[in-house]
Amino acid sequence: MALVTIDNGEDHTKPTFFGRAAMESLERLLPQLEEGDWVALVLTGKPFVFAAGADITEFPEATRELAIAGSRAGHELFGRIRELPFPTVAAINGACLGGGVEIALHCDARTISTAVRHFACPECFLGIVPAWGGTQLVPRLVGIETAVKFVVANPMRQNRVLTGPAAHELGFADRLLEPAEFLDESIAFALELATNGDSHSDSHSDSHSAAEVIRKARGRLDDQLHGAAPAPYKALELIEGACSGWTLEEGYRAEEEAVGELLPGRQAKASLYAFELVDRRARRPPGRPDAEPRPVKKIGIVGAGLMAAQLAALFLRRLEVPVAMRDISEAALVSARERIESELQEQVAKGRYDDGKARFLASLVSTSTGYEQFADCDLVLEAVFEEPELKRQVFAELREHVKAECILATNTSSLSVTDMGADVGIHFFNPVAVLPLVELVRTPTTDEVTLATAWAVAEQLRKRPVLVRDAPAFVVNRVLTRLMAVVLDAVEHGNTADEADEAILRLGLPMAPSVLLQMVGPRVANHVLETLHEAYPDRFPLLQTLANYAEGKDEIALREHEPKTQDEILQAALQAVADEIRHLLEEGVVAEAKDVDTALLLGAAWPFWLGGITKYLDQTGVSEKMFGRPLAEVGSGAPTA
Amino acid sequence: MGELREVYYVDGVRTAFGRAGAKGMFWRTRADDMGVKVVRELLRRNPGLPPERIDEVVMAATAQVGDQGLTLGRDVALLAGLPQSVPGFAVDRMCAGALTAVTAGAGEIAMGSAEVVLAGGIEHMGHHPMGEDVDFNPRFVAERLVDPSAVTMGATAENLHDRLPQLTKDDADAYAMRSQQKAAAAWENGVMRETVVPMSVFTDDGWRVAARDEFLRPDTSLEDLAELPTPFRPGGRVTAGNSAGLTDGATVCLLASERGVSEHDLVPRMRLVSYGFAGVEPELMGLGPVPATQKALDLAGLSLDEVDLFELNEPFAVQVLSWCDAFGVDPEDGRLNPYGGAIACGHPLAATGVRLLAQLAYGFRERPRARYGMAALCVGLGMGAALIWENVPAGH
Repeated sequence: MALVTIDNGEDHTKPTFFGRAAMESLERLLPQLEEGDWVALVLTGKPFVFAAGADITEFPEATRELAIAGSRAGHELFGRIRELPFPTVAAINGACLGGGVEIALHCDARTISTAVRHFACPECFLGIVPAWGGTQLVPRLVGIETAVKFVVANPMRQNRVLTGPAAHELGFADRLLEPAEFLDESIAFALELATNGDSHSDSHSDSHSAAEVIRKARGRLDDQLHGAAPAPYKALELIEGACSGWTLEEGYRAEEEAVGELLPGRQAKASLYAFELVDRRARRPPGRPDAEPRPVKKIGIVGAGLMAAQLAALFLRRLEVPVAMRDISEAALVSARERIESELQEQVAKGRYDDGKARFLASLVSTSTGYEQFADCDLVLEAVFEEPELKRQVFAELREHVKAECILATNTSSLSVTDMGADVGIHFFNPVAVLPLVELVRTPTTDEVTLATAWAVAEQLRKRPVLVRDAPAFVVNRVLTRLMAVVLDAVEHGNTADEADEAILRLGLPMAPSVLLQMVGPRVANHVLETLHEAYPDRFPLLQTLANYAEGKDEIALREHEPKTQDEILQAALQAVADEIRHLLEEGVVAEAKDVDTALLLGAAWPFWLGGITKYLDQTGVSEKMFGRPLAEVGSGAPTA
Repeated sequence: MGELREVYYVDGVRTAFGRAGAKGMFWRTRADDMGVKVVRELLRRNPGLPPERIDEVVMAATAQVGDQGLTLGRDVALLAGLPQSVPGFAVDRMCAGALTAVTAGAGEIAMGSAEVVLAGGIEHMGHHPMGEDVDFNPRFVAERLVDPSAVTMGATAENLHDRLPQLTKDDADAYAMRSQQKAAAAWENGVMRETVVPMSVFTDDGWRVAARDEFLRPDTSLEDLAELPTPFRPGGRVTAGNSAGLTDGATVCLLASERGVSEHDLVPRMRLVSYGFAGVEPELMGLGPVPATQKALDLAGLSLDEVDLFELNEPFAVQVLSWCDAFGVDPEDGRLNPYGGAIACGHPLAATGVRLLAQLAYGFRERPRARYGMAALCVGLGMGAALIWENVPAGH
């Protein structure tokens, strides 16, 4: 029995990737397997990790030739595992992603642990396709419908992954085993195969028409991507090929061609850049202060509107500390409490905790029309209407009621944090439970401990802070407002709303501008515009149509009839966005273009294949044409006072 | 195999219980020396028993390292000056350590392999903070085998409040205050003189005598208790006032067969009727005594009404209240913890069980008409223990 471990020699916090070293190691191992007198092979990973796929840090340099060679090397080596003359079993003990799935599929059979929580082919999410046999072997093993879901649909749905039991249920593994004796039982299974012969090799026969499944999948992609990202379409073609009589060798060649085309391409490069931003860069986020944060054991929230209630629920769930809410309206407080309790009940329904815990958390909420319960708060977040005067009054009153070291924060989406008298801005994005971004707004007087505490709280809330300077509308709203202005301008000049929406959707944004406007609320959007207009009247003219919407009038303020083509609308939008990003970089609102992209990826759910947006603007020459240099080179250092 | 034989509890003794840590009275005293002290005291109080006739010394500790690390039963036997012919061993069931030492010793007696057994426990929580040197299997987290709160006992007590919302912080504080008041009275009325042996200990201030539990707060008020912080959760219900502190202490008791009793002129106080250990959700470990109590009652063929005296450990007031809630016992019932509990005297994990037995035996002597009594406690990682005893009135 040959027992082979995929192991990079590091602990479980550093998963094993298939970089060059791993492939060389496999190449050295294979002759021993091929020439030895083995009864069976069990291939498994180090504790808690099977294999986490290719080493994407090796990707950015890839040319077409290198990409093809890398793909071919995997086909050749994994193919030799498939050819071994004795039963081979992949014992999937832990995280198994991308190339990990593919090497496992080259074995005769698979066992998987009930403890596995990450089983997926995320390649399409990163702008490429599985190119070590995944697109060919997955449909052969589990059928075309599951293959499409696994290889194409899941990666495009926020990179959804399967658990061990789910993977087993779908047919990826022959045995689902408890973790306690996982490897012993996997070995026993391999010996059983060696003794009794295998019963596993019946490939999947599909009742569904391949063409029909592919057609529907392509339709769903069109709805989501509008053709903006080529990788998932390419993956569909490869799966279709696998189901229409390609030999495995033909499939391998097609994968090689596909990845040779995709990996050096714009979308893959942007996706890898975006992944780097939200994954690796986020582990040591620039701007995080070194100061020791203060403990936060009680939170105050001023306001009891929808956003305030969402925030209260978030604080309760993640910090599990008492939350005091204050509003002048008793009715608003009552409905906020109801909303919080129903959010907690949703957590119970999801099995996150039991009724008792939900009851306890609900009991931590206190509501009042006064400030007396704020006396022992460590942090107070203001979430009242976006009225500068009202906010100034709130902070003046707060100062009188809180202890000296209490941090006063605002959730304003556009107003000056400094002017209202807050210590720091913590700007959340709607829906609060979904979007991971917070813009942490530093004013000239924000001290290190305050910033560190706000940062720590944001992270405890499992949010991702991007540090910004106190400037009108900060980053995301400022950029989105420029974009929306182009759309509304087109509408005012005679384009239909649908034309304008579709023009922008060609980028593959998650929602049409008109839908976004409804979600944000025309009142809020118009308010942001007014704030920006006040600061930058040239770049942010007021829009009568938006003002109408804000007042509840569904009335377009038509101007001269000069409709644009969709291409013109898109170009105008891209130029407006690029222009605004250049301004905010030059003003030092954030340290660099990467921060803008991180904010758009996490706060507006802009797609990976645009790399946020500056990557796309740089790749397509928009920035070069406008400023003579890429946005990646514009910047003025870290945001400071 | 012959018939099982009866097991009698003869006598038990403990050290005073000290505050764990550098400020506690036992800080510079070795854990095994504390065991030596209680073993020698027990022999002193039962002069009819020749040391060489002790058949076994069973000693429990949760942390079996350092000064609790050398197979405590044997280590303490040798250090106490017992003959080399007397064997010993160590057991661990965390808070039920001493009770498990007792049931292990009782098993030897019942099987006929021993006539006289010493059983007890030692826990120097100052030297061995809970969980120190424990290398938790990463599978617990990776496979979500237990809720993360299960390893923090105070957090499990908060979970009990969550599960049983009818048990409020006010109830817990009120219970804690009564526990302190009952303990204060007990220090006046003789039970502590009977069961606690003073021990001279070396401290930073030179030698002193550790004679009284350090956690006693006879004057505590509901107002004081209400003010205390809730360290396990902001806005929680479990405070230092309504839970037992981290404690240093040692206990030991003398168990004997009928033959052992008559041969050495020992005075049996209680007869072991039945016992039960049971498991529950680790994050609700405080519920452990509920199924354990039921198991012991079922084995004894008794109902709860037939039990006249209860010695329940009090790691957390809510834990006792949850047991009362399950069995419909009024927390103010005179049968329950008449001498106070761990909230007042402290809870040196593996040592506590024999304190409960010693107080149960004393309670029986004060209540000659009482027939059955029970000692029970909850155990980390979600377990419970319950032992039912029958009163053996003097002269029986």
